[in-house]
Amino acid sequence: MSTTEDPIDRIFSREEEILPSSGFTASVMDAVRREAAVPPPIPFPWKRAWPVLALAVAVVIAVPIVAVVELVKVASAPASNAPAAMSNVWPQLPGWASNPMIGWTAGSLLFAYIAVKFSMRLASR
Amino acid sequence: MSASEDQRDVEQVLAGDVSQFEGIVRRWQGPLINLAYRFCRDRGRAEEMAQEAFLRAFRALAQWRKDAAFSTWLFALATNLYRSELKRIPARLSPLEEVGEIRDTRAIDGGLEDQDRDRSVRKAVYALPEKYREVLILFYFHEQDVPATARSLGLPEGTVKARLFRGREILRSKLQPVLAVPQLKEA
Repeated sequence: MSTTEDPIDRIFSREEEILPSSGFTASVMDAVRREAAVPPPIPFPWKRAWPVLALAVAVVIAVPIVAVVELVKVASAPASNAPAAMSNVWPQLPGWASNPMIGWTAGSLLFAYIAVKFSMRLASR
Repeated sequence: MSASEDQRDVEQVLAGDVSQFEGIVRRWQGPLINLAYRFCRDRGRAEEMAQEAFLRAFRALAQWRKDAAFSTWLFALATNLYRSELKRIPARLSPLEEVGEIRDTRAIDGGLEDQDRDRSVRKAVYALPEKYREVLILFYFHEQDVPATARSLGLPEGTVKARLFRGREILRSKLQPVLAVPQLKEA
């Protein structure tokens, strides 16, 4: 009878069964209760983040476009007007700012400050 | 009976009664530990892996869609976990060539007793490449049920059959003398 049965099938059908140790259920339930006691993770506040993310994406897209447009303007301007056209690339800065880079630096710092404050506000909720 | 008990317990756990998970643990601890044991051949590690499987099941309980039996979902989850656990820390197994060498020496000495032969065959299974080993382990765990094996592994039945065939072919070629001895005796 057993000669027709695949010996591999025969061997594996005799696989030993092990019984759970006596404390297994209690141990699993302890772990489950600990798991249940942990407060659920705070979901990311997408509702609040979406407008800022959208604005950031818009800025990232708009800046290179504006830069390209301005550079094209400079390139297409007559050679004699080039310095004047170039000066139009930079926004007009207040009179106290002798160096145009000061305005950009101040703007960047302000933007970074707003970004950090906003992130901290999101994280604290 | 068990299916309706599972469903009731799951609903109660999801409603906030964590203690009802104990019913699920009591019903499925045996199968989950035995399945883990077949993967790692270490009783202590099997219990640790089964405990982790129950914890993951608890966390993911809401993801069980009732179109499949709870047991199918639980076995698939446990199988995934056991497979990744054994990838992380492999079981201590003999390479397939080593199994062959042991077999030959002992066969010349006067043949193998049933127990020794069984042990050699099991060792050979654990020395198989992973994809054949997993299919063979689950196939015999599910009492030679190909669809259940396929569901646990998340593979098409055709793939399971092909791997099963190839795995058994490798085993037969490696263990031919071992498997031939009892057949000659019985004839």
